[in-house]
Amino acid sequence: MVLNATEERQSETAPTRPAGERSSRLRRRRPGRTAGRYVLVWVLTLLFVFPFLAMLSTAFKLPADIFSAPPSLWPKEWTLANFAAVFEEIPFWQYLWNTIVIAALSVLGMLIASPLVAYSLSKIGWRGQRPLLVIVMATMMLPPQVTMIPLFLMWNGLEATNTIIPLVAPAFFGTPFLIFMLRQFLMSVPNELLQAARIDGASEFRIYWSIVLPQARPALITAVIFQFVWAWTDFLNPLIYLNDSSKYTLAIGLYSFFGEHNVEWGPLMAASVLFTIPALALFVVFQRYFVGGISAGALK
Amino acid sequence: MESRMFRRRTALRAVALTSVAVAAVALTGCSGAGDSGPTKITFSYLWGGEEAKALEKVIADFNASQKEIKVVGVSSPDMQKQLTSMSSSNGSFDISDNFGNAVGSWASKGILAPLDDYLKTEKVDMGAFAPASLDQMKYEGKTYALPIAVHTQQLMYNKDLLDKAGVQPPTTMDELAAAIKKLTVTDASGAITQIGLGNPSTSTLFTTLGYAFGGTWDGKDGKTPTPADPKNVEALDWYTKTLTDAYGADKISSFTSGLGQYMSAQDPFYTGKEAMVIDGEWQAVNIPKVAPNLNWGVVDIPAVSSDLAGSTQVSTSTLFIPNNSKHKAEAAKFLAYMVGDKPMTDFTLALGNLPSKTSLLSDSAYDAIPHFDAWLNALKSPNAKSLSSQPYSAQYSTDLGTAFDDVVRGVATPEKAMQSVADKAKSC
Amino acid sequence: MTPTAKRGARRQTLLGLAFASPFIVGAAVFIVWPVLASAGYSFTDFNLFQAPKWVGLDNYAHMLQDSTFWKALWNTLFLTVTGVPLTIIISIVGAHFLNLPVRGQPLYRALVYLPTIVPVVVGGYLWRWLLNTQYGFVDYFLGLLHLPQPEWLEQPDWGKPAILLMCLWTIGGTMIIYLAAIKDVPGELYEAAELDGAGWWGRFRYITWPTISPVTLFQIIVTVIAYLQIFAQPYLLTQTRLNETSGGPGQSMISYAMYLYQNAFVFLKMGYASAMAWVLFLLTLIITLLLLWSSKKWVHYGSERD
Repeated sequence: MVLNATEERQSETAPTRPAGERSSRLRRRRPGRTAGRYVLVWVLTLLFVFPFLAMLSTAFKLPADIFSAPPSLWPKEWTLANFAAVFEEIPFWQYLWNTIVIAALSVLGMLIASPLVAYSLSKIGWRGQRPLLVIVMATMMLPPQVTMIPLFLMWNGLEATNTIIPLVAPAFFGTPFLIFMLRQFLMSVPNELLQAARIDGASEFRIYWSIVLPQARPALITAVIFQFVWAWTDFLNPLIYLNDSSKYTLAIGLYSFFGEHNVEWGPLMAASVLFTIPALALFVVFQRYFVGGISAGALK
Repeated sequence: MESRMFRRRTALRAVALTSVAVAAVALTGCSGAGDSGPTKITFSYLWGGEEAKALEKVIADFNASQKEIKVVGVSSPDMQKQLTSMSSSNGSFDISDNFGNAVGSWASKGILAPLDDYLKTEKVDMGAFAPASLDQMKYEGKTYALPIAVHTQQLMYNKDLLDKAGVQPPTTMDELAAAIKKLTVTDASGAITQIGLGNPSTSTLFTTLGYAFGGTWDGKDGKTPTPADPKNVEALDWYTKTLTDAYGADKISSFTSGLGQYMSAQDPFYTGKEAMVIDGEWQAVNIPKVAPNLNWGVVDIPAVSSDLAGSTQVSTSTLFIPNNSKHKAEAAKFLAYMVGDKPMTDFTLALGNLPSKTSLLSDSAYDAIPHFDAWLNALKSPNAKSLSSQPYSAQYSTDLGTAFDDVVRGVATPEKAMQSVADKAKSC
Repeated sequence: MTPTAKRGARRQTLLGLAFASPFIVGAAVFIVWPVLASAGYSFTDFNLFQAPKWVGLDNYAHMLQDSTFWKALWNTLFLTVTGVPLTIIISIVGAHFLNLPVRGQPLYRALVYLPTIVPVVVGGYLWRWLLNTQYGFVDYFLGLLHLPQPEWLEQPDWGKPAILLMCLWTIGGTMIIYLAAIKDVPGELYEAAELDGAGWWGRFRYITWPTISPVTLFQIIVTVIAYLQIFAQPYLLTQTRLNETSGGPGQSMISYAMYLYQNAFVFLKMGYASAMAWVLFLLTLIITLLLLWSSKKWVHYGSERD
């Protein structure tokens, strides 16, 4: 079972037996066909990447250039003035810090709670396992709007609005999607190890902590990344709960930037670039886990 | 081995994150527990950019002028956040601003602190304010806000374009309609290249026109929504006849969507795409800054009949104190300062808004602003009207906005559109 | 069961509950209670600042005559019915492209996935800029291709397509899931089909599609739910000055969740908003159950190797 996970990861990077491809007999390819393939892939990729190019190019343009019709990707003159304006007008570092704090705490909460619940759903044979699994999946389908108002009132009553508590606390009770993903992964951890430890008299928690968790490292890393990105990019909750602009996250910081009579597109795009960079960096470093995680987690 | 190392790593990570958590809670949790020194109050305002800078200067002057109170200004342009902040017992500001027509709605819900007692203590003379600016400040006899700046509407026109077309600045609605016809230019395919009357804000334009035709939006008592008042419908009919039906709603819509951004260098009035426009006094300060070469003038909004001369719509920017503020007395002191002669002059000059005090309306400080007197005088007119500030106002203006949009797009006739708003208002 | 076995089973239950306790407590506090409270509020008139007033079924009755409610519902259903098939189709097609044997496959996958980790605020304003009639790139390219250049955010007819464009930009995740799914299809099946003379469409229809149908079911459900709740995208695309909420030209872009938010936090009609939330909940439930029920007809399990 553990072997399977490795195998799966391998199969992503080096398709030895790529399914969905023509059989080996027809592997002799004409060069036109190969070029055609590249074109298809490039067009597809370009469609998704182009908006970023537009964002970058606008960030470096002078105002007059930004409002030139027809638009062009290459700035007539490169300028850093837009970036300077961003730092002048919004407390970027403050927002960045706020966002990091919230994301880190969310991740901490998730790490504490989600694996525990996933363990209960996979490695403990008990009567409630099935029903609980159904409940976890059902909560994934609940529209946030249903709970939004009562939750707001609850936090209001607890005097926790305008703090990060409403944003961070739920993670400490488990995130349904990640619970589900971790559970799927744990199902593939061989039970023999656990049985042996149980016979030896180890407590269930010890088994969880010392045997199962280490095995789940790849899935945990993926879960961490997912939780981090969700907390990082969350828009609705900071919108509702954070009132002081000093507490804003990056998501809301940009939103406020847009107000006013005039939208300054240059600085707005520059701010967008700055707000994207951290997520981008994270992604570049942990790309394998992102992609591996979604594939593994969503294939029931 | 791996499991031990992993355990140590997770443990270290947990420690690191926990300390971050503790630090975060520490930083966000405590905010200046009562120390000896000036009382800190927070002034959260909707303004931003240049206007915010001007406001910060006034705040700095206040802080320098006395030692008991320190005002911290925060730019927070989101009105929804204002509301959510005032809904809990630990609100995030002690004094804030909004538009006059929100006062009634908020006061009726107990959101705003009544100011009458504080005004007495701070010796604020209510008689010093221009009567037109006070319409929206009271609810059920109590004062809940003070006007810090006032806005009126007038008809602005591009002198060059009018001269070219041989048109005189209009003084009656018929003249205006004729001028619009002469000043709207279409090309061979029927697409509009220049429009006689621009439309920066449909809601403002239509409500102002309603008043200009002698209509009323809140009934004679100012407490009932009356969108379907026949004079209102007449005003909208005039607009559709002159523009929407004459040139085609879709053509107008195409034209509008291609226009540059309001108040920027590409603003359609500044660039000659709009020959005339009904707009507010802030333009007088913006145009010299952004479009100094524009040759422009201002006249009163044309009247349908002589008793409606000088008709205009007045709106106010107000200061209020939320009921959940813990420093109401200090906030009131600052409020009184802000409506003092010099701070109000400083502030309104910088923002290009009208002062709300009668004595300042003829102050020479405003002489340097071109054409400002046209808007200043509008405030004195007996036909200066404002939308009521009632509990239904928020929903009402949204519904009106939707209906006006339908009229401009030619989707509904003015009569039907206004009737639908009336129906909605009844069921509210 | 023997007494020992019973004790064993009970112990297991206790353990199971213990480990699951964070979720159970969390669900009770953050889900069960709010859902019930929300139902309660839906029968009241509540403006956040004063005590709720009982009004019975008034909110629900009001919904029936509220033209904006129906507009918002229509907009949302339209987006769902068009967005979900588009998402599935484009993701499957894209997955096949990404599966083509080219060098640097991981790079292309990463680039396609990138838009999904960008904060939605950034995406919102970016697309607002791209869809600008005068200065935006979308109309510029359409013009180069001699295609009509709609006024995306200004015309009622084009408001929802604009939202769809923005949403489809972020389907990289779905595409990658499908990529993994099609890689999992056993190669032998394709070989057998080729021997039988099946062309690429035949292979897709009779092998790929049935094999990935469980994934498709999951994706359809997840995507339908996402579209029913759509908020940030239309909210950002139609945002006027921060002091006003907007529904786009002719209210063509106001989504159900947006109108809900407006009722709750702008008009301070929390009771009405709660009623809207419950209707959304029931709608989601019904549609999900229908999808699951229909899945018997077209979803094939068990053809994947373990």
